[in-house]
Parts: sequence; structure tokens; C-alpha cells
Amino acid sequence: MRLNKLLLLAVAALPLPACTGAGGEGYGYGGYSLVRVREVRVGDNSLAVTPPREWNRISARLFRDIRDVEDWTQNGPYLDGISFVTGLKDGKAVVVQRSRDDRQVPKFRSNMTAPEIAAMIESLYRVRGGAVDFNMTSLAPRQFLGANGFQFDFEHLDSDEVRRRGRAVGAVVDGQLYLILYDAARSHYFNAYLPDFESIVTSARRV
Amino acid sequence: MSPVMTRRALLGAGAGLAAVTTTGVAEARILPRDMVPLIGPGYRAVDQDEKGMWQLMERVEEEVSGSNLLIKDAQLTSYLGTLIGNVGGPAAKDMRIYLARIPEFNAVMFPTGFTIIFSGLLLRMRNEAQLAGVIAHESAHFLRKHQIRQWRDMRRKTDIFSFLAMGAGVAGGVAGVYAGDLVQLAQLGTILTLLKYNRTLEAEADAMGVRLLAEAGYDPMAMSETWEQLIAELDLSAKYRRKRRHRDFSLFETHPSPESRMADLKISAAEVKVPGRSYDPYRDRYLAALSNIRPTMLDDQVKLNDPGASQYIVNTLAKDGWNGLLRFYEGEIWRLRNSQKQDDEDRAALGYAAAVAYPDAPPDAWRWHGIMLLKKGRTVEARAAFARYLQLAPDAPDAPFVRQMMVG
Repeated sequence: MRLNKLLLLAVAALPLPACTGAGGEGYGYGGYSLVRVREVRVGDNSLAVTPPREWNRISARLFRDIRDVEDWTQNGPYLDGISFVTGLKDGKAVVVQRSRDDRQVPKFRSNMTAPEIAAMIESLYRVRGGAVDFNMTSLAPRQFLGANGFQFDFEHLDSDEVRRRGRAVGAVVDGQLYLILYDAARSHYFNAYLPDFESIVTSARRV
Repeated sequence: MSPVMTRRALLGAGAGLAAVTTTGVAEARILPRDMVPLIGPGYRAVDQDEKGMWQLMERVEEEVSGSNLLIKDAQLTSYLGTLIGNVGGPAAKDMRIYLARIPEFNAVMFPTGFTIIFSGLLLRMRNEAQLAGVIAHESAHFLRKHQIRQWRDMRRKTDIFSFLAMGAGVAGGVAGVYAGDLVQLAQLGTILTLLKYNRTLEAEADAMGVRLLAEAGYDPMAMSETWEQLIAELDLSAKYRRKRRHRDFSLFETHPSPESRMADLKISAAEVKVPGRSYDPYRDRYLAALSNIRPTMLDDQVKLNDPGASQYIVNTLAKDGWNGLLRFYEGEIWRLRNSQKQDDEDRAALGYAAAVAYPDAPPDAWRWHGIMLLKKGRTVEARAAFARYLQLAPDAPDAPFVRQMMVG
């Protein structure tokens, strides 16, 4: 998950990895590799999407992601990013966390309704992203991967005093969570890459 | 509380202090009657080193006052200003107060007399006397010139390395605030922040705080109650994550435990009370001043999914009577923890069901009540709950989804 606070921690704690390897393409260094304009598999490889232009994949090691999550960005994680949650199973959280952390991102449950998943995302931003203010701006039904999913729109003010906007489109398929989450600085960046996000969501298919 | 230290520098300073403080010998309690203010109205920095510190702090205040994390509610900020007026002693007119929307149990006094209160502190106070107690304690740091005394004390006593670490802390701390990182400041934690001063200075601030409180007509016992609440909250938070309370305590082993500090506060409070005079916690006034903001503050806390701390806060507030809001957040705590082993979903459902029985239940309580009913297959009742939600909040951002749940 592409969260500012997390990025700071990860950068401080880990040496920068070289080429990500798993991504295969390009010769990214510093934890980034190029995503070409063609269908690519993301996360645990159970989801394929086609971006309308080139994006940058952020190394999972840089963000200490779980295996089912993958992050992309255009201008760096402080400004914009797309995260893919692929086939997240019951009882797992979308981030790496220790059972003894005081504050925790709620675990995903197979029987969660969209408002519960939205609340889970809100806690993700509050607990791990340092969001001080977080508001849902819309939650509406939306077809995703051929399932009855949802679209969740939100705005948040983070501890770096930047206001950001986000949109998540997701569905629970066979008891597992599939979600594509877009989050960017509210001024300029959000609108600039929203069409890319929409095009990626439309292109998504399970493989 | 000197804000001018990063956590790293803090550890360095702590280690330095630990090296010079005598071990384990209980010091005599500082008496409230000995605590006279060292500054008068309109105080300005006198010496060269203090002037330098003030210059830095004036820049920090400029940044802080422009932060978009501040709560700018005019009614609330003027209320906080009144409290400083009540317990600020001779500097009452010189001190400034900023309220930041950060769900942490903390407050910070800067050397130039401005203080940041974090919304998480306001949430936890049960009455005006408790809040005034925190402000009185912070004022005492200013009135007794603690920042500069601590600074000089460190220079005299500690070796050159911790002195350098503290210098680095000043630069780092200021840079941190410039970057708008109030959150980091807040998250140093009350205990940790309080321990930044050596024990004599903290004991002074406690003793003087109690005295300022009583002189203003507040129940001085409020300060030890605040400590009691903090300790119990940290204990419960740790217990829910199956660990021991905040290990930060152990870093400062030579300092008095929070328990002994609480005991001293109680004795001092009894001492400053004048027989025949009445002391008030001013609970109603406090609740009225906070009525608009309390739901938001509770929401900010509960959504951090720290169930032990949140449950403690809800139960503490409920000592003054349960209501729809508190029952609703009780449900929220279990829903977010969502442990299957402990049937959290059922407990959440009970919380929401209890909440909607109160006339002041927030609209959200009806939505979650409906969702829980829906998940149990009780669709007819769920529909009724959703209908009530939409009636109370027709423009809710999730209305489209709730309508779908009503038909699906």
C-alpha cells in the first residue's frame, strides 16, 4: 500500500533494493520498474490489467507489502499512486503488521459488505497513512470483474498537511477481495490520472 | 514540555539524565506553597542563550499557527483561552493556545508561552477541571522557566555527547515542525513528553499546577484523576494486544513511576484545599463547550482500531451516563477489531442495537444496525433500519449503496 508514513519507515529501515526482478521489465533501480502499455499481471498474478500509458511499479520490498498487493505511481508516492489488492483471503490485512501493534488495520473478512471494506480502507489511512481527517464522499454500487462490487470515493488530510483524494473500486469474488485503489494529491494530480485509473479498472480481468 | 527534541535526541538526553541522576532514592515531594512564579506579566527572554531559543520558537509558532491541522472553531478556541486566563497565573494574558486535530493524549508547552493541545486530550477529559489541570501544569513550566533551566542544567551536568545530541534535537525539532509534522510531535506520547524534563522540574510543574487549579476554584484532585485515567488506558491498550504497558517507561528507570507521581498529586491536592471553600469540576460547562466536536474526536480515536484504549475512553466517558453516541462507538470498537474467536461481530451488533434505542443515536448507528441485521439474514428489520438511516441522513454519501442493500 502506498502510504506516506509507511514509505518513510520503509526507506529508513531498508537498503534500497536493486532491480525488482519479479516485475521482469525494465532496469528500475531504487525500487522502481517500468510498466509497459500492454496487459500485465499484478499482485499475486491472479489479476491482469492494461494501463493506457507507462507507469512505474514500486518494489514490494520498498513498501513492505504483502504478496497480494502491488503499487504503481507516475510522479512518486507522495503525489499519486495506484494499489492493486488481489485475492486477499479471509482473516488477512492489506498491510504487513504485527499482532502486538497498538493500532491495527482491520483484517479482511469474506462476509464483509462494501461499507465495512470502505471502513477498513479508512482505518488503513488513519493507522498507517497518518490521516488526520478522512471523509467518504461517495459509496455506490459498481460492477467489477463481473461481480456486484462498489466504488468508494474519499478525501483525506494527512499529517504532512497535504489534502488527498482517492477512489477504490472493488468486489469480493469467491470470498476473496479484489480492489484497485487510486490515491493522489487533491490539487492537480488526482484529476490528472483519474482517466488512467478508470481505464485500468475497466481493463481488469481475473486470470 | 520542551518540544525541541526529536525522539532520537530524546533518547540521548534521557540516557544523559539517567547517568547523572542519583539512583532510586525517593526525593521529598515539592510543596505547592513553595511554587512561586519566576516571571511576571509580559515576560521576554533576558539572556543571550534564551533569546536564541525564543527566536527559533517564534518561527515555530508562525508555522504552527498556519497549520491546516488546527481546529479553528471560534467558540472552542475562545473557551480554551478562558481556561488559560483562569489558571495561567501572572502570564495568563501572554500565553497562546492552539488546538490541533490529532487523536493523541498530549499537550506541549513551548518556551515562549504558546501551547498546543491535541484533540485526543480534549476527548479524554471528563470535565473542565481536568483540562484546566493540564493547562495549569503546562503554564507552570512556563512560569517556572523550565525550558531554559533544563537546557542549562543539561549543559552543566551531562557530557559533551548528550549536549550535542540535544543541540541536534533543537535543529531537528524545529525542522520537524517546519515540515508541518505536528503529528510526530503529538505522538511522542504524554508519558514520554512529560519525562523530557527531569523529575524536579516535573514535580514542580505538578505542585504548581495543583495550586493554580485550586486558586481558580477548580477541584485540584482533577490532576491525579487524569493520571489515573492515562495509566489505566495504557494498561488496557497493552492488555488487548497481549503485551505489557508502554515499554517507554523502562527507558527512564530512574524517574518516578507514574503511580508515585499520581500519589504525590493527590497529597498536594489535599494540601492546597482551603477548608470551607467549594471546588467544582465544572462538568456541564465542559460538555457544553465540546458538544459540537466530541463526536468527531471520538470517531478519530475509535477508527485507529486500538480497542483497549478506545474501550477505556468510552467506558470513562460513560461513567457520566451512557448515551446513543457512546453505545454506537462501543459497537464500532468491536466491529473494527473483528476477531472471530471473540465473537466481535455479535458484540458490535449488540452495541448498535443498544445505540439505536437512544433518541440521540447518530444516523450511522442505524446504518450499521441495518448491516448487522442484514448479515444475520433479518432482512425485514434491516430494511427498516436502513430506511431510518436514510430518513435521518438523506444526503449521506453512501445513500446509493444503502438503497441497493435495501432491495438486494
